Amino acid sequence: MLKVLIPTIMLFPTIWISSPKWLWTTTTAHSLLIALISLTWLKWTSEAGWTASNMYLATDPLSTPLLVLTCWLLPLMILASQNHINPEPVNRQRLYISLLVSLQAFLIMAFGATELIMFYIMFEATLIPTLIIITRWGNQTERLNAGTYFLFYTLAGSLPLLVALLLLQQSTGTLSMMILQYSQPLTLESWGHKFWWAGCLIAFLVKMPLYGVHLWLPKAHVEAPVAGSMVLAAVLLKLGGYGMMRMMVMLDPLSKELAYPFIILALWGIIMTGSICLRQTDLKSLIAYSSVSHMGLVAGGILIQTPWGFTGAIILMIAHGLISSALFCLANTAYERTHSRTMVLARGLQMIFPLTAVWWFAANLANLALPPLPNLMGELMIITSLFSWSPWTIALTGVGTLITAGYSLYLFLMSQRGPTPNHIVGLPPFHTREHLLMVMHLIPVVLLITKPELMWGWCY
Amino acid sequence: MASRLSRIWPALSRVRLRSALGCRCVSQTTKSSAAVASDLQPVSPAAQDSHGHTEVSPFEKNPDFHGFHHQDSFVDEWNMRLAFFFGISVAIVIGGTFIHYLPDHGMRQWARREAERLIKQREADGLLLMSENYYDPSKIVLPSSGEE
Repeated sequence: MLKVLIPTIMLFPTIWISSPKWLWTTTTAHSLLIALISLTWLKWTSEAGWTASNMYLATDPLSTPLLVLTCWLLPLMILASQNHINPEPVNRQRLYISLLVSLQAFLIMAFGATELIMFYIMFEATLIPTLIIITRWGNQTERLNAGTYFLFYTLAGSLPLLVALLLLQQSTGTLSMMILQYSQPLTLESWGHKFWWAGCLIAFLVKMPLYGVHLWLPKAHVEAPVAGSMVLAAVLLKLGGYGMMRMMVMLDPLSKELAYPFIILALWGIIMTGSICLRQTDLKSLIAYSSVSHMGLVAGGILIQTPWGFTGAIILMIAHGLISSALFCLANTAYERTHSRTMVLARGLQMIFPLTAVWWFAANLANLALPPLPNLMGELMIITSLFSWSPWTIALTGVGTLITAGYSLYLFLMSQRGPTPNHIVGLPPFHTREHLLMVMHLIPVVLLITKPELMWGWCY
Repeated sequence: MASRLSRIWPALSRVRLRSALGCRCVSQTTKSSAAVASDLQPVSPAAQDSHGHTEVSPFEKNPDFHGFHHQDSFVDEWNMRLAFFFGISVAIVIGGTFIHYLPDHGMRQWARREAERLIKQREADGLLLMSENYYDPSKIVLPSSGEE
C-alpha cells in the first residue's frame, strides 16, 4: 500500500519543483509509474480476504479494481487537462494538478481503509478538492450552484452516516471492517434500528447516485472541467457503491425488507434517467444522466445482496468508470473546439475527424453494453440476479437496456453522422494527446475482456 | 507584452480607484484617457479566445504539434514520447504482462482443468461422472418416523 501512497504524496514535490516547461511531462510520467506500481495490488496474497501489510490500510478483491482504476485515472486526467489549463499562470497550473493529486491520495486511502471511520473521513475529504475544481475552474456561472448542490447533497447524506458509525462503534466496540465481517448479525427490531440502517446507507445512495437524490450529479458533472468530470464519473460515484458493499455486510437482516423501496427507486431511475437522456440537448448533461442510469443498475445489484449481484456491480463500476470518463474526454474535445456543449452545434463530426469517430463509436458501443465488453457482462449479471430475486424486475431492466441502447446510439448519430454544418468545417484537427487519451481509456476495457476475474470481487 | 501591460496598468488602477470611490460611470473610462481606453482592447492582429489560443492554429507554427506544449516544439515532442512510452509501453504492455502471469488465485483455473481431465478419464473408463449420493447412504442414520 505504501509503495503507491508514498509515490503519490511525492507527486507534490514533483509538481512544485519541476520547471514550468517540463511540469506536465514529469507529472504525466510520474503518475503513469504510480499506475504501473498499482497493478501489483492485483496479486492477492491470501486465498480469501484482505491483503494487509498493516492494520490501517489493506486491499481485498473488492477494493483492488477500484484502487487500480483510481491510479490509472490520474495520468488520464493530467493528459486531458493539459490543453485548457495551459494559458493559466504556472502556479495556478501547479495548484490544479496538486488538487488532482490530493484527490488521488484521499481516494487511495478511502478504498484501502480498513476502519470505517477512516473510510468516512476520506469519503468526506474527497469533497474538498472536487468542490474547488468545480467552482474555481468550471466555465459557466452555474458552477457555483453546482458546487453547492454537490457539497450539500453529499453532506446531508453523510452526517447521518457519521452518527450511525458512532452508534455502531458504541455497540460493537470496533469499526474495523476486518472484525465486523465476522460479527454476529445484530438484533435490529425497533424503529431506531431502522433509522440506523437508513443512516448507514443514505450517504452512499446519494453518492451513487440513487434516482431521487441524483440532482447534484448533472450539475456537478456538467459544470466541472474535464478532469473534474472524469474523476467524478469514474471514481467518486464508485465510492458510493464501494461504501454500500462494505456496509451491507453488517446490515443484515434488516436489509431484506428495508431495501425494497431503494431497489425500486434504483430500477425506476434507470428508465427515467435513460428517457431524460433521449431528450437532452447538452452533450455533457446526456453523459451525466447516462451515469445515473448505469449507477441505478449498480445500486440495484448491490441492494439485493447476492454474489452475482455484487460481482456484476463491481464489473459494471469498473467498466462504466472507464467508458464514462472516455465519453467526457470526447465531449471535452468537442467543447474545446466549438466552446459549446450543445449537440446540434457539433454534429457530422465524422467527416472532419474520422479517427475520433472511431473512438466515439467504440465508447458509445461500450456504453450501450455491447458484448463481449465488460459493460455487458456486468449488466447481464446484475439483470439475471435481479430476475432471480424477482421476475418482475426484468420489465424494468429490459426497458432500461433498450433505452440505454437508444440514447447511446442517439449520442453517436447526433455527434458523428449527418451533414457537417458549415461553421465547424474549419475546426482545428485532433492532437496526438487526445488520441492517446482515448486509447488509454479504451485499451484497458478491451483487455479486461480477456481477464475479467480481476473484477469479480469476493466471489473469486 | 510587458510594455503593453505597463501602459494598461496605470489606467486600470485609476479606473479601479475611481469606481471604488463610488463614481458610477456607465463606461469605465473617462474622456481624458480616451487614448488609454483604446489600449484596454488588445490591438494585436491575432485576437485571443478564452483559452489563450490565437486565431492562428498552433499547427501553423509547428506542423508537428502534438497537443502538449504550445510554445516549445522540443518539449511538445518529448512530452508526447514520454506519455506514449510510460502510458503504453510501460503501463499497458509491462503491466498487462504482469497481470497475465499472475498466479492462479483460488486455484480456479486448476479446478477447471482438473474437472475436464477427470471427466475425460471417467468417460474413457465408462464410469459414471459422479455418483448420485454425495454421502454414503449406509452411514446416514435417520430418526424413525412417528417421533417428533
